[in-house]
Amino acid sequence: MDAHEEYVWPRATSELILLPVTGLECVGDRLLAGEGPDVLVYSLDFGGHLRMMKRIQNLLGHYLIHGFRVRPEPDGDLDSQAMVAVFGSKGLRIVKVSWGQGRFRELWRSGLWSVSDWIWDARWLEENVAVALGHNSVVLYDPMVGRTLQEVHCTDRCTLSSACLIGKTWKELTMVAGAISNELLVWYPAATSENEPVAPDRRVSGHVGVIFSMSYLESKGLLATASEDRSVRIWKVGDLRVPGGRVQNIGHCFGHSARVWQVKLLENYLISAGEDCVCLVWSHEGEILQAFRGHQGRGIRAVAAHEQQAWVITGGDDSGIRLWHLVGRGYPGSGVSALCFKSRSRAGTLKAVTLAGSWRVLAVTDTGALYLYDLEVKCWEQLLEDKCFQSYCLLEAAPGPEGFGLCAMANGEGLVKVVPINTPSAVVDLTLFQGKVYSLSWALRGYEELLLLASGPGGVVACLEISAAPSGKAIFVKERCRYLLPPSKQRWHTCSAFLPPGDFLVCGDRRGSVMLFPSRPSLLKVPGVGSKAGPGLLGVSDSSGGGGSTSAEWGPVSTLSSLHGKQGVTSVTCHGGYVYTTGRDGAYYQLFVRGGQLQPVLRQKSCRGMNWLAGLRVVADGSMVILGFHSNEFVVWSPRSHEKLHIVNCGGGHRSWAFSDTEAAVAFAFLKDGDVMLYRALGGCTRPHVILREGLHGREITCVKRVGPITLGPEFEVPNFVQPDHLEPGSKGPGLIDIVITGSEDTTVCVLALPTATGAAHALTAVCNHISSVRTVAVWGIGTPGGPQDPRPGLTAHVVSAGGRAEMQCFSIMVTPDPSTPSRLACHIMHLSSHRLDEYWDRQRNRHQMVKVDPETRYMSLTVCEPDRPGPDPLVAAACSDGAVRLFLLQDSGRRLQLLAETFHHKRCVLKVHSFTHEAPNQRRRLLLCSAATDGSLAFWDLTTVLDHGSAALEPPAEPGLPYQLGNPCLTLQAHSCGINSLHTLPISAGHHLVASGSEDGSLHVFVLAVEVTELEEAAGEAERGPQLRVLEEYSVPCAHAAHVTGLKILSPNLMVSASIDQRLTFWRLGHGEPIFMNSAVYHVPDVADMDCWPVSPEFGHRCALGGQGLEVYNWYD
Amino acid sequence: MGRTSKDKRDVYYRLAKENGWRARSAFKLLQLDEEFQLFQGVTRAVDLCAAPGSWSQVLSQKIEGGHVVAVDLQAMAPLPGVLQIQGDITQLSTAKEIIQHFEGCPADLVVCDGAPDVTGLHDVDEYMQAQLLLAALNIATHVLKPGGCFVAKIFRGRDVTLLYSQLRVFFSSVVCAKPRSSRNSSIEAFAVCQGYDPPEGFIPDLTKPLLDHSYDPDFNQLDGPTRIIVPFVTCGDLSAYDSDRSYPLDLEDGSEYKYTPPTQPPISPPYQEACTLKKKGQLAKEIRPQETPINIVDVLPQPLAVPPRHTLLTSEVEDSDMNCSP
Repeated sequence: MDAHEEYVWPRATSELILLPVTGLECVGDRLLAGEGPDVLVYSLDFGGHLRMMKRIQNLLGHYLIHGFRVRPEPDGDLDSQAMVAVFGSKGLRIVKVSWGQGRFRELWRSGLWSVSDWIWDARWLEENVAVALGHNSVVLYDPMVGRTLQEVHCTDRCTLSSACLIGKTWKELTMVAGAISNELLVWYPAATSENEPVAPDRRVSGHVGVIFSMSYLESKGLLATASEDRSVRIWKVGDLRVPGGRVQNIGHCFGHSARVWQVKLLENYLISAGEDCVCLVWSHEGEILQAFRGHQGRGIRAVAAHEQQAWVITGGDDSGIRLWHLVGRGYPGSGVSALCFKSRSRAGTLKAVTLAGSWRVLAVTDTGALYLYDLEVKCWEQLLEDKCFQSYCLLEAAPGPEGFGLCAMANGEGLVKVVPINTPSAVVDLTLFQGKVYSLSWALRGYEELLLLASGPGGVVACLEISAAPSGKAIFVKERCRYLLPPSKQRWHTCSAFLPPGDFLVCGDRRGSVMLFPSRPSLLKVPGVGSKAGPGLLGVSDSSGGGGSTSAEWGPVSTLSSLHGKQGVTSVTCHGGYVYTTGRDGAYYQLFVRGGQLQPVLRQKSCRGMNWLAGLRVVADGSMVILGFHSNEFVVWSPRSHEKLHIVNCGGGHRSWAFSDTEAAVAFAFLKDGDVMLYRALGGCTRPHVILREGLHGREITCVKRVGPITLGPEFEVPNFVQPDHLEPGSKGPGLIDIVITGSEDTTVCVLALPTATGAAHALTAVCNHISSVRTVAVWGIGTPGGPQDPRPGLTAHVVSAGGRAEMQCFSIMVTPDPSTPSRLACHIMHLSSHRLDEYWDRQRNRHQMVKVDPETRYMSLTVCEPDRPGPDPLVAAACSDGAVRLFLLQDSGRRLQLLAETFHHKRCVLKVHSFTHEAPNQRRRLLLCSAATDGSLAFWDLTTVLDHGSAALEPPAEPGLPYQLGNPCLTLQAHSCGINSLHTLPISAGHHLVASGSEDGSLHVFVLAVEVTELEEAAGEAERGPQLRVLEEYSVPCAHAAHVTGLKILSPNLMVSASIDQRLTFWRLGHGEPIFMNSAVYHVPDVADMDCWPVSPEFGHRCALGGQGLEVYNWYD
Repeated sequence: MGRTSKDKRDVYYRLAKENGWRARSAFKLLQLDEEFQLFQGVTRAVDLCAAPGSWSQVLSQKIEGGHVVAVDLQAMAPLPGVLQIQGDITQLSTAKEIIQHFEGCPADLVVCDGAPDVTGLHDVDEYMQAQLLLAALNIATHVLKPGGCFVAKIFRGRDVTLLYSQLRVFFSSVVCAKPRSSRNSSIEAFAVCQGYDPPEGFIPDLTKPLLDHSYDPDFNQLDGPTRIIVPFVTCGDLSAYDSDRSYPLDLEDGSEYKYTPPTQPPISPPYQEACTLKKKGQLAKEIRPQETPINIVDVLPQPLAVPPRHTLLTSEVEDSDMNCSP
C-alpha cells in the first residue's frame, strides 16, 4: 500500500443533492429546509413570498437532517440572527446565522456532535441542548464547550419511534416517548439525582400502530400524535410538566388513507401529513377544514407553519417544497349557487345552459325560450322564444372574453339561430340541413374571424362566417363552405379551433379522430389535385342543402383516425405552435402540423381516475390546466402542480354544462334539479398555492443516463443569487449544461439540465406514457438540431425507455436555448413508437375470462448498438426478467420497433446488457454484446454477424411471426456467485477490451478480453467467421463493497469507479494486477440503482450522477 | 393485472402458497439450512419476530421433537408444536418471559427474520432494522448456549459494517448469506453467526440495550479501505428457481396452474380500523364551501387570499434546485 499516497486523486465532491425534504422550520420570516445534510434557507421578500437565499452545504456530514430547533431569544428577535440546532440520525450541530438586510451569513458553527444513538428530538434549555435518544434516554449537552453534561435513562429502555421534549429548563424537562409497543411514556429526566434510571410517570395507550410524530401545544394543554394506524389522536394533557396529570383522548381523527408521518398543533388548527401525500388541516374538534394535495410519491415528510402569515409549508419525498394558504374555518371561498330559475312567470324546464364570458349565463327551456342571467343585474331576462326549438335545442355561446355577445342555437330540423345577446331582435335564422343538427361549435381567430360550425346528417359540417355591422346593431351570417367527416356511426364533429396563422381549422369528432380542414377551401388553387392526403372534393351535393349556397363538401387534408378512441374528442386548443386535444379516453395529446399534416407528439394521461377530459386551458402564467369529470365531480386539474385547482360536485359530465375562465374569475354552470347552478371562483385558474421547489420523481430513480452537453453563450447568463462566492472566476453564466435523462418507478422519464456553473438541476420535461415502472433508458443518434455545420447551441437525441409490463417507448428529444425559462433551455419531446410484448393480449376479446399464462416480463436493462452509417438500422438489446435477451430493430429512426431475435441462453433473469464495438486496423468494426444474469454469469454475443444478411447466426423461428433464435454466445464466463448489477467495458490496447462487472455480493470482477477476428476470403461468397473471444487476465475483488455494486465505470485503462448500495463511491487503480483501492466517498442517496459518469472539460473534470432514492451529482478533477 | 400477476412476478410467493407456507420467506430459511446445516443437532430454537410464522413452521417441521418458542409484537395464528409469546422483544418484560423458558437448558439456535414496517426513509429504516437485530442479539446472549448459532436478517445499507463488527464480538464466525429465494433487487441478506463465544467477562444485561458500534479509524473506517465486510455466501443451488425471474404460469415441471389463495392473511394489522372506515365512507372529509349551496346570489364569493400572478419563485430566482419549465 505504499503506492497509495500518490494515488489519493481523484477526490469526488458532492455538487448537487436531491433528496426527500425531511426537515422544515419557520424562523421569523425565514424558512429552513433540510435536504440530506444540506440546509436551504428561504426568506420572505417584499411581495410576501419566500425566495431561496442560500444553501448551506454538508452541515451534518453523512447524516441526514431530520429537524431544526431555534434557540428562543429573550427579546424575541429572530429577524437579524438566530442560533439553530440542526439534528438528524445520530448527529447534531449548532449554527449561528445572521440574515439581516437580505444577506445571509454563517457566523459560527459548532463541531459535529456524534451521539451513540438516534436523536428523535432536541430542545434548547437556555444555553444548552437536550436530546431525546433512541432507547428512551435524554442527554444534556453544552454546545459551546462541546461537552455532555448529563445522561439519564428511563427504566424502560425500549426502542422508540418518536419522542417529544417539553419544558424550558432541565428541571422542568418532560420527555414524551413513543415506544415501538404503540404506548406513550411520560417521564422526567430531572427526577433523578444520581443518574439513576427514571421510572415512567405515565403510560398512555390508544394507538394500534407505531407513533411517528407528536406535537404539544402548551397554551391549551393539548398533545397530538400521528400513527401508523392512519389516525391522529388529540389528547387533553393539561400541563405535562406536572407529574401525575390526567390524560384524556378527546379526538380520534381518521382522514388519511395511509400512515401519518407528521403532526403539528397550532393555536387553532392541527396539521397532519402522511404517506398519502395529503396535508390535512383539522380543527381541534377533529373536522377537516382544508386538504392540500399535490405532492407526488411516498408522502410528505416534513411540515412547518407560519402562524402570522397563515402558511403551511410541506416537504415531500419527491424533494418538492410547497407553500399553502390557511384560510380558516368557513372561509368565504368559492361556492356553488343556484340561480333560481324556477318561477311561475317562466314556463318550461331547462334543457341547456352556456356561459358567455364569466358573468352572463344563457339557458334554453323546452318551450324554446332563451333566457339570460346577468350576474351583475342578478335576474333572469327572456331574450326570445321560438317554438321550433321546443323539443331539441343545442346552445353554444361564442368564445372570447365576453363571448362576443353572441350565441347560437340549433334544432332538430336543420335550423340554426345566431343571437346577438344585447340586441336579440337582430337574430339571424338559417336552415342548413334537412335533418337534425348534431353539434355546434365556434372557432375564433383573434378578433378578426369568427366561424360557427354545425354538423348535420351524413357527416356534413356547415361552416358559417359571422360578422357584425359597423353600427353594432346587426350581424351577418354567411355560409362559407361545407366539410365532410370520415364515415362513422356517430358522424358529427365535437370541437373546432383555428390553427395559427389561420389557414386551417382543427376539428375533433365523436369517433375520436382529429382532422385538419382548410379554413378557406375556395382559395385553394387546384382542389382535389395533388397528393392522396391533399384536399379533395368528396362529394357534390346540392340535393341535401336546404338553403346553403355552397355545393361542394371538403374532406380533411389530414386525419388522425380514432386518436382518442371510441368515446370521442372533447376539445382542441392551439397554443405555442402545438395543437392540444382532449378526449374521453382520459388522455390529452400534443400534436403539431408539419407540411399540412397533423402529427402526434406526445400522449399524456391526466390524474388518476379522471377518464373524461373535457377541455384544456392555457392560463396566464403559461401553464396548462385540464378540465374533466372525475366520477361525479367537475375538476380543474393542473398537470404541473398535480393539484386539483377546482372541484365542483356537479353530478357528472352527461348534463349540460359550460365553463368559462378569464384572468379575473372562473365560472362553471350546470343544470341540476331543474335549475342552473353556478360555481364561481375569483382569480381564475392560477394556483393560489406556491411551489417553492418542484419535486423530481415520486419514487425511486432506476436509471440515469447522460445525453450530452449544451454550451450557452454569455447572452444566456442566469442571474445567480446563490453562492456567488463558490463560482470560479471566469466561469460566469450557465456555460456548459449537461442534459441527463432519469427514469423512475413512478412510471415517468424526466429530462434534466445540470449546469456546471450553478450546481442546480432543472427538470425540463417529464414523459409519462409508461403504464408501469421505468427501469432503464438508452440513448442513440445524438446530434444538434441544425446538423453538424450549425453553430447554434442545441442537442437532439433519440431515447428508448423500458420497464415493467414488457413495455418499451421510443421518443426523441430536442433541447434548444430559450431565454424565457429559468433553465434558459426548452425541451421538445416527440413520441416515436411504443412496443409491448403482450400487445396481443389487450386485443383479446374475452380476456377477462381467461388466465393470462404469459410471464409478466420486465425489461431490466437496455443497450443500443449502432452499426456504421449508412448501414442497417440500430439495434436495441433488452435484458428481460423472463430469462431472455431480446434484440429489437429500431427502424425509421425509432418510428418502428420490431422484435428481431431472442435467446433464452441464461435461463434466469437477465439483469444487465452492455454493447461495445471492436475496432482494429484493416478490419470492419464489430458490434459485441455482453449480457449478465442473476447467477453471476456473463455471455458475449457477436451482433455484426447477426445483422449480416443471410447469416447463420440467427436460427429461423419455429413459426412465422415469432422472432429468430439467437444462436450460441461467443463466450460465457462465470464471474460472480450471484446476480450481476453493473457492467462496463473499455477498449484498451490493440484488440483488447477491459471488462468489469459488479455483483450483489459486493464483489468486483475485472478481466481483459481479447477479440480475434479471422477474416476469410469474402470473394468466395462465404460468410466470415465470428470473432474468437478469449480471457487473458482475470481479477476478482471479493469484498469491494458491503452491498450490491450497482454502478461501475472504467474511466481509463488504469482508473475505475464503482458505486454501491452501501453508499460509497470508490476509485480503483487498474493495470497493475488486482484492482487497488484508492479512496472512497460516502454519498447520501440510498438504494442507488444506477450511475453514469462522463468527462466534462479539462477544467471541470468528470461528473458522476447517482440515482436511487434521490439524485446526487459528484464531480472530480482528473 | 389481477390476482395471478403476483404469482407470475414472484415464483416463490406462489410456491409458498402451494406448499402451505405462511410466507415465501420459509424458502429462505430452508436454503440457508442447505448451506449451513443450521438444524443439525438442534433441539431448542427461538424464532424472534415470528409473524406471520413461516420460519416457525420450518423450525417445527425440521426439529423433530424439539422445542420452538416464537415471539412477535403482532398477533399470530397458532401453530402446532410452537409456543407463542406476544410482545416487543426490545422490552424488558418480554425478554424476561423468553429467557425463563430456557433457564437451565439454553437454546441451540436463535433466528430473527424481523423487519420493521419500512417508512421509506432509508436512514430510519436501516437504524430500526439494526435495533431489531441488536435486541435479538441481546436476547440471544441470554438464551444461546456456547457454540450456538444466530441467524438474523440484515439490511445491507450504509452502516452494515457496524453491525458486522458488533456480531464479530460474540461469534467466532460471521458470514453474510443470501438465499436464492431472496431477490437481487432487495437489500436484505442474512447474518449467519456460528459459534457463540462471548468475550471473556461478558455478563448479559437485559436492562441495557446493545447500541450499535461507531466507525473506527483503525479497523472499521467510514470512507477508508479498512472496513469490516464479512464473506458473502449465496445459498441454494443454481437449479433452484430464480426469485427475480418472471415465470409463466405453467411451470416447466408440467404441473397445471391453479390459483391458490394466501395461506394466512394478516391478523389485525394497524390499519384495519382505518380501512373499515374507508370502506364505509366514514373517513373524515373536507368541509367544502360549495357543498353548502347559497340560494340567492346576493353576495358573490369573496376572493381567496390570492397572491399576485407570477409568484413562482423558481422563475425569478436561480438556485440549486429543481425548476420545471414546460
